[in-house]
Amino acid sequence: MLAKTKFAVLATLSIAPLMNAAHAETVLNVASAGGQNMVDYVKTYLAPKFEEMHPDVKVNVVGTGPGDAGSHKIYEKLSAQKGANKATWDIDVAVVHQKMGGEMVTEDLLAKYRNDIETGKLVSRSSAENALGTNVSGYVMPMFHSQTAIAYNSAFIKNPPKSYDELVTWTEKNPKAFGYNGIKNGMSGVSFVTGWIYAYGSDAKTLSSTPYNKANEANWSKAFKELKEFNKNITFTPGNAGTLDMLNRGEIFMGPVWVDMFYSWKDQGKIPPTMKLSLIAPGMPGQPMYYVTPTKAAHPELAREFIALATSPEVQAEGIVKRFNWYPGIDADHVKSQLDAATWKKLFAEITPSDLSKYGKSFPIAPYFNDIKEGYEQQVSN
Amino acid sequence: MQNKTTHSLWLVAPAAIMVAIFFLYPLFFSLYSAVTLEDGSLTLAHLTKAFSLYSNDILFTIAIVLASVVVLAILSITISAMIVLSPFKSLVSLLGLLYRLPLFIPFIVTAQMMRTFLAKNGLMNNAFVASGMMTPMDTISFLGWTGIIITFVWKQLAFSTLLLSGAMAALDQNQIRAAQNLGASRVRILFHIMLPQVFPTLGVALVLSTVTMMSVLSVPLMIGTGTPTMMSADMAFRVNSYGDYNVANALGLVSYLICSGLAWFYLRQSLKDKGATA
Repeated sequence: MLAKTKFAVLATLSIAPLMNAAHAETVLNVASAGGQNMVDYVKTYLAPKFEEMHPDVKVNVVGTGPGDAGSHKIYEKLSAQKGANKATWDIDVAVVHQKMGGEMVTEDLLAKYRNDIETGKLVSRSSAENALGTNVSGYVMPMFHSQTAIAYNSAFIKNPPKSYDELVTWTEKNPKAFGYNGIKNGMSGVSFVTGWIYAYGSDAKTLSSTPYNKANEANWSKAFKELKEFNKNITFTPGNAGTLDMLNRGEIFMGPVWVDMFYSWKDQGKIPPTMKLSLIAPGMPGQPMYYVTPTKAAHPELAREFIALATSPEVQAEGIVKRFNWYPGIDADHVKSQLDAATWKKLFAEITPSDLSKYGKSFPIAPYFNDIKEGYEQQVSN
Repeated sequence: MQNKTTHSLWLVAPAAIMVAIFFLYPLFFSLYSAVTLEDGSLTLAHLTKAFSLYSNDILFTIAIVLASVVVLAILSITISAMIVLSPFKSLVSLLGLLYRLPLFIPFIVTAQMMRTFLAKNGLMNNAFVASGMMTPMDTISFLGWTGIIITFVWKQLAFSTLLLSGAMAALDQNQIRAAQNLGASRVRILFHIMLPQVFPTLGVALVLSTVTMMSVLSVPLMIGTGTPTMMSADMAFRVNSYGDYNVANALGLVSYLICSGLAWFYLRQSLKDKGATA
């Protein structure tokens, strides 16, 4: 055979698999960052609901991984497609974290769609306007809000600490009974450290809503030094789930956790019913996840309909609050009317709405946030 | 003849292109990004930062890997010697089956398994407590550096024993019988006749295990707690948390250097051996 013919055969063989995809029905590509529970939510709850309403559409859900890394992958993909001047991008709807959401808006990757959908009016949280210092008004719809708090075993601890100061005293009296996962093994630890800086470095308001100014970090090294001392009296856990695991096995008696994970594990009986939550002063951070749609989504109309469905009061009540124990993304009053009193009460059983508004903080803006993590690496763990 | 050469080139092309695109290009790209700034000028800034933040972790990684390799060498020599030299054939076949099991279990599953097994109130300690050998107060958690070593050894043991016992079984049986006839004990046969001959194989097994251990992310993330941690976890953190590929690649460069140092040592050793016999 001639070399040319061979080349043609090889080329045809390698292209053939790519051509099959062209004949399918309309596919709506949804990429979701976040833990497995979030991907499950989109895949097993939202997607079938949407497909029911649009029989000719197939929703293709892709999980991109937990934490900011997951959002970062979505960002990289969109950014690459923008750089390659593609006419349409292959993600229609994305679920991203607050930090990346802001960056994607700055880089013009997202469509300003909130006024196009009915449910856009139901949003009331400040995080829908401002994502860690970036104005995102109109570009994002909060999917839910999640919060970190301190979980403790009430069978052994009658008077849980109410503030970081009390927690420090408590760990001195009860060495190794408090556990957290550092900053490399999951966001609950990062959140605990951020709360530490809010308490002993600079207050949450300065770090999450004013422009970056390195001078604000003047007294951080003292805070980090104290944290290094504090770390001597505690146990390190292997991750967000690791903290809950160790709480369950009675290896630690207190530790920072994500509220939604805590409730889900409690529902499934994976942690004892005596576990309770306390949101300590001056506050710990929480964050929303955002629904966004890229500027050049292949199916912009369907994408908007999908997000409208996902942020409708019924879905927020049934899916977000009842099934997954998250705080709703749209205004809570619109969701409350859709739920029975018991479910609603359960959501606020451990942390009262007033505590939540007093001590539920945002994460700091990106440059401060990076400085906190790097400061920890440099001064606490090194 | 000309025709034959083009033929074989065509055969090699797909594999060569795969290697170039998916291995060589990313490798050189990551090395390049470790030592250059955005504008392409050379810099040591990323390496300096990597060392200032993670010097402890680099040492920790080397210590963990070395310790694991030593334990691995001792255990795999013992097991393969038992398999080859033991007179109890049925016991040996059982052992042969058992030691192979970890080959089929991925690292992440191993890590999850060890996490529940080695924890303070985990399966192992609970078994000790239930059998009355310990009280719940005496138990300690093996999650941490000991757990990482245990997991690495457990997982890599199968691989290195497989290589080593194969090499031992392939040795000339006459030498061993001759030594036995002359009254050598099994231990003496192992150390004086078998080990010197399988030394290159042991080297391959250990070098390959080292490279594997350096690259595993799931184990330090799931078993390791707090600090210090292994370099792979730092690299992941650099990328995931800061989107900072430069320092991550600088760390990659460091681990690449460690591995290539080993590879060089091993290659030199094996070339020397070959040179001596040729």
